[in-house]
Amino acid sequence: MELRFWGGDWGLPSVHPESLVVLTYARFVGAPLKLNPVDYTWSSIQGFGPILISKDEVTTQPTNILNFLRKQKYNADYVLSAREGSDTLAYIALLEEKLLPAMLHTFWVDAENYSSVTRPWYSSHTPFPLRFYLPGKMSREALNRILVTKGKPPLYSLNEVEAQVYKDAKECLNLLSNRLGASRYFFAEMPTSLDAFVFGYLAPLYKAHLPKVQLKEHLKQLPNLCEFCDHILSAYFTQNAEGSSPAGQEAIDANLQKLTQLVNKESNLIEKMDDNLRSSPQNRPQKLTALHPPASTANKDSSQFLTP
Amino acid sequence: MSLVTDAFVSQIAAVEPWPENATLYQPLKSEQVLLSDNASCLAVQAFLQMCNLPVQVVCRANAEYMSPSGKVPFIHVGNQVISELGPIVQFVKAKGHSLSDGLDEVQRAEMKAYMELVNNMLLTAELYIQWCDEATLEEITQPRYSSPYSWPLNSILVLQKKWEIKRKMKAIGWSGKTLEQVYDDVDQCCQALSQRLGSQSYFFNKQPTELDALVFGHLFTILTTQLTNDELREKVKNYSNLIAFCRRIEQSYFEDHDRDSTGSSMRLSKGPALP
Repeated sequence: MELRFWGGDWGLPSVHPESLVVLTYARFVGAPLKLNPVDYTWSSIQGFGPILISKDEVTTQPTNILNFLRKQKYNADYVLSAREGSDTLAYIALLEEKLLPAMLHTFWVDAENYSSVTRPWYSSHTPFPLRFYLPGKMSREALNRILVTKGKPPLYSLNEVEAQVYKDAKECLNLLSNRLGASRYFFAEMPTSLDAFVFGYLAPLYKAHLPKVQLKEHLKQLPNLCEFCDHILSAYFTQNAEGSSPAGQEAIDANLQKLTQLVNKESNLIEKMDDNLRSSPQNRPQKLTALHPPASTANKDSSQFLTP
Repeated sequence: MSLVTDAFVSQIAAVEPWPENATLYQPLKSEQVLLSDNASCLAVQAFLQMCNLPVQVVCRANAEYMSPSGKVPFIHVGNQVISELGPIVQFVKAKGHSLSDGLDEVQRAEMKAYMELVNNMLLTAELYIQWCDEATLEEITQPRYSSPYSWPLNSILVLQKKWEIKRKMKAIGWSGKTLEQVYDDVDQCCQALSQRLGSQSYFFNKQPTELDALVFGHLFTILTTQLTNDELREKVKNYSNLIAFCRRIEQSYFEDHDRDSTGSSMRLSKGPALP
């Protein structure tokens, strides 16, 4: 599987929220992805968001990619109850409706941020003639999305909606902060897809050096959300950001599983042989109690030897 | 609404009590209103009933153009006009009536999240079905939406609205979806709501909140509206606790109030009953 996405900067593996969502999720589940950041060449440009290519199948959009990974048995949500799964869906809707418009405005519409940070970054990662067109197109799309979803027809005017959009986003940040409380992840101790989404949306805001920082200032006043970002960054994205470690881990895990299976088989064999040897009826109960504990300890021992 | 006027409105609102002659405006019920608009109107009505605030429902063919935000419904209280559920909830709260005061902070976050889920999926799906599905557009949406106007205004307004919705769908990435995918989204949303509701009578135990009003508005409308086919309704019908939930709210907030309420809400409860 190959993932194409906007590359990293500002201490993040990707500066593009949707790409970051997918990357984070892949890191949570340890999916062996071949990471292929968009660079200066034409071949890398296929769309604006993250793209997952697996054999001949091409998947776009974070939700679709996450669903695809889940089907490949890379599921971070299997620990969740049905109700928590519903909550995940609801909070993702909340992010999309309330936080996304303000994020788009901060990065793509606000003139100062766009011309001093966003446009230079994206145009420097795009091949020559396209670099004069692509960032402008993304900016227009962002503006269009804000106006069409939040503005009032027939005269869509940005001034009317700006204040409302930021007010909604700040409220959304407060709600997320309340929901997270003092825990490490949104659902107990394991990271799930909701954590990937929240991190993907918040981290670029938290790490980017923008001239206009209205939303970032608000985020900084919510220490638990900042800690949440820092924690995921340090736990999942330190040093080996090229994807070697999870794959390696995966291989070790697979080997370990195979070996334990072998050991199990062997102990079963021993058990059978013992059965054959002691066919007398009065010995059977004794044998059962005597044989099982050694089998399980043998198992444990072997796995202990295997762990590096 | 800017922040200043927001603050100003809530200041004024706090002083004046809820007047007797508060009015809710919505499109004509039998020949004009569309699925999504009816859902929003019903949600606001349910919310006001839950707050026990009397309101007179008035149907106007041009309600959409009377509304300050261009969206129905809107309420006229004293000398103020407020449209849509979110701002109305805020306004009513400034008057000292709130359904979500008893919730703690986590529950409030949850309530808002589920309200956005309904807006993000159910409302968008309704808009998609009535404006982007050609069969529904031709058979239902076009004649109903243009019913108060004569040629050529009727076709112009339909085209204008259609373009507006298509532009919105394109911006949020729904334009590439097929009708099947939209039905799947509705199903996913209903499943989430059903699981969240479980066996409780309301989403947050005994007391209804604005989330209950919103969910009721959408689900009841979907359940009682005849479209070109029954697929949308069938999606909701799969979840028995959601149907029971709709029936419960219908009974406790719309049937008891028949006598002291006006014609429209009476018609609403006497409309097609739940299966």
